[in-house]
Amino acid sequence: MSNPVVHITNLNLWYRQKAVLRDLNWIIYPSDNWLVCGESGSGKTSLAKTIAGLIKANGNIEINFNPEAALPPVIHYVANWYQFKDLEGQSNFYYQQRYNKQSAEVTTTVRAELEDYGKKQKLSFNDALQTVKQLGFSDLLDSTLIQLSSGEHKKLQLVKAVWLAPQMLILDQPYNGLDKQSRENLNILLNAVSAKGTQLILISNDVEIPSCMDRFAEIKNGKLIEISAGERISNPTNDFTPKSIPVFLSESPTPTFSGSVIKMTNVNISYGDKRVLTNINWIVEPGEKWLLQGSNGSGKSTLLSLVCGDHPQAYSNDFSLFGYKRGTGESIWDIKRRIGLISPELHWYFDPSATVWQSVASGFYDSSGLFCEPGSTRSGQVNELLEYFGLREHSKVLMNELPLGKQRLALLARTLIKNPELLILDEPCQGLDQQQTQHFNRLVDGLCKNGTTLIYVGHFESQLPDCIEKKILLENGAVKSAEILLERA
Amino acid sequence: MSNYFNTLPLREKLNQLGVCDFMDSSEFVDGVNALKGKKLVIVGCGAQGLNQGLNLRDSGLDVSYTLRKEAIEGKRDSWKNATENSFTVGTYEELIPTADVVINLTPDKQHTAVVNAIMPLMKQGATLLYSHGFNIVEEGMQIRKDLSVIMVAPKCPGSEVRAEYVRGFGVPTLIAVHPENDPEGKGLLQAKAYCVGTGGHKAGVLKSSFVAEVKSDLMGEQTILCGLLQTGSILSFDKMVEKGIDAGYASKLVQYGVEVITEALKQGGITAMMDRLSNVAKIKAFEISEELKDIMRPLFQKHQDDIMSGEFSRIMMVDWANGDKNLLAWRAETGETAFEKTPAGNVKIGDQEYFDNYTLMVAFVRAGVELAFETMVQAGIKPESAYYESLHETPLIANTIARKKLFEMNRVISDTAEYGCYLFDQACKPLLADFMKKVDTDLVGKNFNEGKDGAVDNRALIAVNEAIRSHEVEVIGATLRKAMTAMKAIKTA
Ligand SMILES: NC(=O)c1ccc[n+]([C@@H]2O[C@H](COP(=O)([O-])OP(=O)(O)OC[C@H]3O[C@@H](n4cnc5c(N)ncnc54)[C@H](OP(=O)(O)O)[C@@H]3O)[C@@H](O)[C@H]2O)c1
Repeated sequence: MSNPVVHITNLNLWYRQKAVLRDLNWIIYPSDNWLVCGESGSGKTSLAKTIAGLIKANGNIEINFNPEAALPPVIHYVANWYQFKDLEGQSNFYYQQRYNKQSAEVTTTVRAELEDYGKKQKLSFNDALQTVKQLGFSDLLDSTLIQLSSGEHKKLQLVKAVWLAPQMLILDQPYNGLDKQSRENLNILLNAVSAKGTQLILISNDVEIPSCMDRFAEIKNGKLIEISAGERISNPTNDFTPKSIPVFLSESPTPTFSGSVIKMTNVNISYGDKRVLTNINWIVEPGEKWLLQGSNGSGKSTLLSLVCGDHPQAYSNDFSLFGYKRGTGESIWDIKRRIGLISPELHWYFDPSATVWQSVASGFYDSSGLFCEPGSTRSGQVNELLEYFGLREHSKVLMNELPLGKQRLALLARTLIKNPELLILDEPCQGLDQQQTQHFNRLVDGLCKNGTTLIYVGHFESQLPDCIEKKILLENGAVKSAEILLERA
Repeated sequence: MSNYFNTLPLREKLNQLGVCDFMDSSEFVDGVNALKGKKLVIVGCGAQGLNQGLNLRDSGLDVSYTLRKEAIEGKRDSWKNATENSFTVGTYEELIPTADVVINLTPDKQHTAVVNAIMPLMKQGATLLYSHGFNIVEEGMQIRKDLSVIMVAPKCPGSEVRAEYVRGFGVPTLIAVHPENDPEGKGLLQAKAYCVGTGGHKAGVLKSSFVAEVKSDLMGEQTILCGLLQTGSILSFDKMVEKGIDAGYASKLVQYGVEVITEALKQGGITAMMDRLSNVAKIKAFEISEELKDIMRPLFQKHQDDIMSGEFSRIMMVDWANGDKNLLAWRAETGETAFEKTPAGNVKIGDQEYFDNYTLMVAFVRAGVELAFETMVQAGIKPESAYYESLHETPLIANTIARKKLFEMNRVISDTAEYGCYLFDQACKPLLADFMKKVDTDLVGKNFNEGKDGAVDNRALIAVNEAIRSHEVEVIGATLRKAMTAMKAIKTA
């Protein structure tokens, strides 16, 4: 057998007095493509970053590139999270900034970003265009980075990785935020890259994976255990398991308005000449449970930003929320206090320096970070919900010190804490494993029995709550269809 | 028009300088009610104009913009800012006559012209709002007696005003009512409501006066905020290069160092900043900052005296009339400094290294903040006002230096700050010449602790800590910072 590319012996990694990796051993031979799964917090990301040389751990890692191969002798790591900076090298953006035309100009365009990357890596720009096209990214070349949605940022990361075609590519949760078609496209791309000699390590709990994956492993209790293709995901030891819903969430939210929740008549949004939403007509009545679908870039997040009071162009459209016509004296805080929102963008822009407890409590005030003292009733509710989500032991931990999956659970708790009248769940389960996703969707079903209105964004029919009864589909910024899936009982 | 402050009898001067009341949050329970349903028209859509307007509209108020004709016809950025965010934009003639509140957010230098153009169009009993009092106090602008004149001044750049609002917080804000123009007694109610509309009420509001705001704002910006940061940066860079430190490293240390150092200031005052140093370095920084205070005290006092007497504004306005001759010359000179022309090197400097290798800047900041604060308080400005205009704003200005050095800082600060900054810098550099001769690379460029055993005398350390902690700027700062908890940490490069 040839030399291993990566040979790991007795790897140990501690994080805050907690052992993450314990005497982990792993031999990666040249011809193998590995899929690594494991529950949130199991150490998948830490292991990947250690191999890529981004963090240090105790133990031995030997790396042998192939000196004869034409591909660059590097291990390229595609992070599960994306990052970008403005033209001045800073990254203190805020959530609503992308909806404001002028602020969009503080970041470079996708094209400039790719050209810059190509220059640094000595790659020809034309070679990138093929991948750009395959991932359906061509129309976005002239968008600025801040205007991209989380799925589009993911694609940008993937374009760079495939374009570089290194000897080894580690992809950490690459499907996050991608729509169905894009996932399929990605799998085709990865098979092609693998055929050309790039070795893949895929970290994912997803089921639909490229056919070239041939070895499987799970990280559990700090060790890597090889498993067979069929037995993926053993029984989770999750703390987030079905329990009875906290009492304060099983009451119906107190209705605070009369009329439709949302009423949009011919709503249009554009930036300069670029149309983002065209003639949207949509009515959501109290208690309805909607599924909102559309491919990446179809206008879903812009539509939801209108509903959440985050879009400045709401004021020039015919559009009512909770019975108020926008721009008739209501404040955005009047709107937000009725909504529980989670979205990939909310997560990305959320104050990373808040503790888990503060983050959940901030849901009472719709703020990013906590600026008030919640008082004893509300504090008790925060504790109860943290317990429910299995996050009690992390109360005092800062958000940016937790793995993404746990951060996401905390933000889900934040979304629900005030038992809102309208729940907007935009890909709520990104970064969660299948079990956690199921539990969360059951919880949503439970909450929605009380008359809560729901707008749910999810790309996968198999991962939706049962209570969904209507569906609106966007395509290129317009409503493609609106249909009833389930007659109301 | 003559300087308003100078027309006042001493009693009234002291009276207005001394207006300073840190407002309790219970003062804001009425929310935006005093402005609800009123027509707010903002003149100018720049950094403050756009962001204040976005917040006010999101708070349920009726906001539109009026711009000068050229801006509308030429579809300038100000016009795009307003229209692309779905605001109504009109000429002065179209919008001012309908306005209940006219908000002047044009550059201070243009205020006389702008106010002269809009005042005749304003309806009887309307309100004129400023975010800075220069026009009223220094230029003595006379406003029609039926109009109310108020000020709401966010103590942060416009982009922060917006960012903090949408995350559910706000920025510290000063409000004031001009005693010569409060015919109906509604000024304070409207100022408070406006403050709620911009989110300022969540982060601490200081009731001040036009006079106190202007005299303290001018003093802060020209001495510690812009003046001393500029002088200190240039001298530090030149010293390092003179002593053979790599120019790229020196450039990076100076460009980002002041931001990292003042981030500690922002979180926990001078105490926290000094505590980032080792004990030996702290004692040294304390000693040289005492020396710096003695050297610079007369200069700080001269600036304060000239501000109080109106001399500063007078000479600046002479320069305005002269086509900005001095300002442009000084601006060019700043652009030509070696620090400005040397790009930051591609070296990694850790957070702590900025303190250990740039002890000199820590000393400059302590000396400057304390001197500015002390000088203001001696001149009759209340400690709370003096705190905002010295310590509070220092990290904000440091952030602009980190972004693009001194040129950027001078571009984003106001015209008056830029002029005052150069004036200070020109006088301060020669004043520090002898002091700088003694400075070596242990204070700037290399780790101060290197080659030292780190031992200190207990009593010396206790005395230094005591002196730092008991300074009035620390005492008042601790109280005011509590009101601004959860300030977002400025990210560093
Ligand atoms: N920047 C700060 O950090 C800060 C903080 C607190 C208070 N303030 C105060 O806020 C006020 C505005 O400052 P800023 O920094 O926002 O200014 P700015 O960004 O320079 O914006 C000025 C606006 O006024 C317009 N304008 C310029 N000259 C004009 C004229 N002659 N007539 C009519 N409109 C004119 C400009 O548009 P066109 O040129 O397109 O017409 C632009 O929209 C000042 O009083 C300042 O002291 C500023």
